[in-house]
Amino acid sequence: MKKDVPYFDKVHRWGRIWTLLALVALFSVPLVFSLAHDAWPEPGPFLKGLVAILPLYWVSGIIETFTYTPMIGAGGTYLSFVTGNIANLKLPCAIAALEKADVKGTSDEGEVISTIAIASSAITTTVIIAAGVLLFSIPVQWLTKSPVFAPAFQQIFPAMFGALMASYLRKHWKTAAATVLIGCIVVFFSPSIGIGILIVVTIVAAVLTSFLFYKISTKKSAAK
Amino acid sequence: MDFKSNWLMYLLAAGVIGFVVVESLFFLVKAWKRGKELGISKQTLVNTVTNSAIYSVAPAISILATVFVLANALGNVLPWIRLSVIGNLQYETVAATSILSELGGSLTEEVTDPAKFAAVAWGMTIGCCLPLILVPIFCKKIHKKVGDVVNKSSSASALADVVAAAAFIGIIAAFVSKSINGIEVTKTLTGENVVSSRAGFLSIATLIVSIVVYLLLDTLATKKHLVKFSNFVMPIAMFTGMGAAVLMTQLLPQSLVLWSWPWLPPVQ
Repeated sequence: MKKDVPYFDKVHRWGRIWTLLALVALFSVPLVFSLAHDAWPEPGPFLKGLVAILPLYWVSGIIETFTYTPMIGAGGTYLSFVTGNIANLKLPCAIAALEKADVKGTSDEGEVISTIAIASSAITTTVIIAAGVLLFSIPVQWLTKSPVFAPAFQQIFPAMFGALMASYLRKHWKTAAATVLIGCIVVFFSPSIGIGILIVVTIVAAVLTSFLFYKISTKKSAAK
Repeated sequence: MDFKSNWLMYLLAAGVIGFVVVESLFFLVKAWKRGKELGISKQTLVNTVTNSAIYSVAPAISILATVFVLANALGNVLPWIRLSVIGNLQYETVAATSILSELGGSLTEEVTDPAKFAAVAWGMTIGCCLPLILVPIFCKKIHKKVGDVVNKSSSASALADVVAAAAFIGIIAAFVSKSINGIEVTKTLTGENVVSSRAGFLSIATLIVSIVVYLLLDTLATKKHLVKFSNFVMPIAMFTGMGAAVLMTQLLPQSLVLWSWPWLPPVQ
């Protein structure tokens, strides 16, 4: 008799297979190019250049893996790590969708909603970039560089994260306000802090703050 | 034909981009079926797809614009592949600059040597691949741990919900804080670190417009029971914020639009 595999186990099995295939697809680009042109990197300078960039790439890769994985469902995690742009696009999309559907990220429904949101976002982004590169390179460059429309694209993060923050202000205004304040203090002392590091700091701040408020509110209700 | 944009490069791009779309469709279909099994309404699933697609349009155009930053040196195709899979502009620029500088080149000039181009492609790929190794190893373990905590007891579950919401707030707060008083430092094509933008009147005003529009429209949708409209409140608030940035730049005095905190270094 065929064993009924739980959905989460299936997702992890699919995710592992797709991620391994993604690695193959990713490495096929330089490999096929090098084989076709018999053009290989000069080992000495190449390794020197690589050593200079690996700490940046790999430290942030480790941080991203352990920070984002618990927050988005299993399907969403496998998909977003292949398609990239996690903090600035896939996560906000998943957060907005979970909020709108009124489901928790850790629930079965949350797994479904975050996966659908991330998949839809990945398809839209991939199609727009492909169409832009193949068909609209001139209008897109004009649009994003024109003095009239450029400010819209320069201010995309305040516009996007302002709307997201507003949805959380309603339910968790104390945690949201306290975390933004802590974030602003950190940024004041280090204005150029990388967003990857800042995210780790503000997540820790938000979790500690919300834990504190949670304890205060449970104490208050116990006293009543 | 130029080796950076010949048929082989387009074929490789088609393969990689096709792979991403097929993987996304696979997970979309599987999640959709699971959603139906769980009793999630078709309307909720459709709304999730439409909202996420609308929400992704403007950021996708921004990502597309960054393809062209690297295109002068590397052609359109390699940056297109790299920015469609895992990559982002900051990492790709750093990787290409670092490797080209070791090989005696820079991103300001067209790469005409296939060996240098291959070195850049290898460097970008090796640099970004680590999460694809870590996620298959740790994802299940991390999610199992989270599940164990959530299912421990009702109070643990309540606390887990609070912590999960807090983690989302943490991510959003990082970007909001940067918009209030941060600066963006980017690497130029010659490898220098320069201040490319700084927070000030325009970023703060855009943030406020976006928050206020969301709160107003969300209140309206809730009070008038506009269920369909409520699904579009977030993208509308985002696009209104972006539109407000355009209008403020055109209509307000430049001294106000360009105002920033006096302690922040100037844009170079």
